[in-house]
Amino acid sequence: MSSLVPDHLKYAKTHEWVKVEGDTATIGITDHAQAELTELVFVELPAISRNLKAGEACAVVESVKTASDIYSPITGEVIEVNEALVDNPGSVNTDAYSDGWFFKMRLSDPGNLDELMSAEEYKVLIGS
Amino acid sequence: MPKNIVEMEIEAAIAELPDTKTLRLKWPENYDPSFKTGQFITVYWPDTPKYKRAYSLSSCALDKGYFEVTVKRDGKMGTRIVDWAAAGDKLFVIPPVGRFLPVYEDKKHLVCVAGGSGVTPFRGFAREATYRELRTRITILYSVRTTNDIIFNQEFRELEEKNPHFKFNVTCTRLAEEDPWSGRRGRISADWIKSIATDMENTVFYACGPTALVEGTEQLISKELGLPKEQLKLEKWG
Repeated sequence: MSSLVPDHLKYAKTHEWVKVEGDTATIGITDHAQAELTELVFVELPAISRNLKAGEACAVVESVKTASDIYSPITGEVIEVNEALVDNPGSVNTDAYSDGWFFKMRLSDPGNLDELMSAEEYKVLIGS
Repeated sequence: MPKNIVEMEIEAAIAELPDTKTLRLKWPENYDPSFKTGQFITVYWPDTPKYKRAYSLSSCALDKGYFEVTVKRDGKMGTRIVDWAAAGDKLFVIPPVGRFLPVYEDKKHLVCVAGGSGVTPFRGFAREATYRELRTRITILYSVRTTNDIIFNQEFRELEEKNPHFKFNVTCTRLAEEDPWSGRRGRISADWIKSIATDMENTVFYACGPTALVEGTEQLISKELGLPKEQLKLEKWG
């Protein structure tokens, strides 16, 4: 089954999605990533106010099969995290692009966005 | 609690490597499930019922009275098991399921590609074939970083002694040049696979381990060797 790859988002090679609104970016993992991980059972989120560099490991997900790091796709400061995921990590499996968001960041280097992939480029990466 | 979930006592917790432990989970009285070598169980601790992890059985279907899983320190569950699990502790177990099953036919050659703790189900494959004195050939191609990362080395060597149709081959990817290891070095390659799988028509490939290794093996086998997907069984761990 092919994965959902919404056109309006940007994507990192490490399978995070980024939704940009002004100087704020919302970040989660892609539908392809959640499908590969299978049922999520644990999510650890970054601390609010933490400054992250693009490519830095900042969160952890654990599924019934494996544990994986999540990387910040951009540089900036964490301003909000999705606390609901801690109690219900399965919402990443059911809705990776909406209820399953991980955290929001204030962009400090908008130039980072140019290094992310478009939906079309990400589809090629995952063979979708 | 659904009827098919069973509480089991850890009969033994065996350190295989500093970061890897085998748990022997004792079946309760009158428990005799129907299951197959190569399947996986899902476990959770009584105090965290929502937090489950699935592990391939490292024992085989002929090992009665217990399940064994071999766990690397990975994530919360792996850390708790490797650092804290001890004989006498109890875990809930969802019985074995899965389709990563050995094809035990006389003419078949099972080539089992493993990375890290991905070797654990192949211990079950080799055990059952050896117990039953089968003629099915089984060859493990095991990729580890260094010789310190080889799980079940001694048991696999003993199975090789007992079973003329079983071979255990290791390749090390990150050994220092001066290391005295005389075995193979480097990643698993198409050439290495070709030298092992000489009768492609009767070969069934299995790959188990990290996603990169399993997908790399899939590419090698389906694209470079041109074999159909029916001859390849995969178990990805993300």
